[in-house]
Amino acid sequence: MKADELSLARLMVMAQAGDKQAYCTLLNECQVWLRRYFGRRVAPGQLDDLVQDTLFALHHKLATWDSTRAFMPWLAAIARYRWVDHLRKIYRADEIELAVDLAEVDEEPAIAARISLERLFAQLPDAQVRAIELVKIEGLSVSEASRACGQSESLIKVNIHRGLKRLTALIEKA
Amino acid sequence: MPRDTNTLIAQLVADLDPVRPLRFSSGLGSALAGLGITLAVVALLFGFRHDLGTASSDPVFLLAAGLFLVLGLASAITVVIMCRPRVGSDYDGWIWAAATAALLPIAAAIVLTGRGVGSVSSAATGHGLACLASGCALSILTFAILVWWLRRGAPTSPERAGLLTGIAAGSFGIFAFTFHCTFSDIVHIGLWHSAVVVVSAAIGRLAVPRLVRW
Repeated sequence: MKADELSLARLMVMAQAGDKQAYCTLLNECQVWLRRYFGRRVAPGQLDDLVQDTLFALHHKLATWDSTRAFMPWLAAIARYRWVDHLRKIYRADEIELAVDLAEVDEEPAIAARISLERLFAQLPDAQVRAIELVKIEGLSVSEASRACGQSESLIKVNIHRGLKRLTALIEKA
Repeated sequence: MPRDTNTLIAQLVADLDPVRPLRFSSGLGSALAGLGITLAVVALLFGFRHDLGTASSDPVFLLAAGLFLVLGLASAITVVIMCRPRVGSDYDGWIWAAATAALLPIAAAIVLTGRGVGSVSSAATGHGLACLASGCALSILTFAILVWWLRRGAPTSPERAGLLTGIAAGSFGIFAFTFHCTFSDIVHIGLWHSAVVVVSAAIGRLAVPRLVRW
């Protein structure tokens, strides 16, 4: 069964009132949605951690949902925040892998389109997109990427740094 | 955190307590209460200027007070809205209020250019610094209230939330102090009173994100 917006909102109202059974059903539905959402955005090995992290955040921020507004945009905002935080942590560790398979986009096109990499890349200069694609997605070394696109090695590093910084800002604003 | 997601869900369900949803009206009400207390502090500690509410009220004072109040309100409202996350929310409305308030320092710079920088006396500078210090001190209550509200909420843009917290707090702080300050000169208000907002915004941008990250 796939829960719709109305059912999830109703479950959330009951959960805010302390109904444990409704909350259990809600968290399980959220888990399914989050797995699909993050499945296209992070490496498979990081999926469980990110789903759990987001469920934990949802639990602590239950009071921030307003029953007069839709549930899914609230859940999506929390999921996106955790994802951005996840990207930041990886970025800081210099191990970024932007594993996004947009070919498998299914029935949540509005949110997926809003924060898809293609759409975000369109707002970055070509040189930054090329540097990120070669090094962070295709997995080339900086020197290999330099030979492939004609940018100097230092320029590749600068373009990756600036591009990812801008990308994070765009994701937050999406 | 448990390795298995189903175990985590069971733990979270067991831990569930009823919650009272954050209300926009409560958040804004808290910020306005902070402004009210700040005004009371100004009245008690410094006293209000004598021409308040009379026909001789200075138009520059009235305009500046209005602009700072609107900027404070627009920023505080945005901060309260940011506490409740939602994909597709627009948090840019405050920019217009900020752009309008920016006319004060711009006008001050134009007037100062015409008068010459040498026209600023050391006494005026001293008074300006006093306004800057008092305005910043009077920002603290609103600042604390908004940070407390952000910590209860779930801001998904901590940097912007911090910047806006600083702008709202600084605007309310200097709005309150404007009721005491008897200098209605555009150069004084445009430079020193606006500086309170700038300083508070910088502090908010730098300090708040680490306090409200979740």
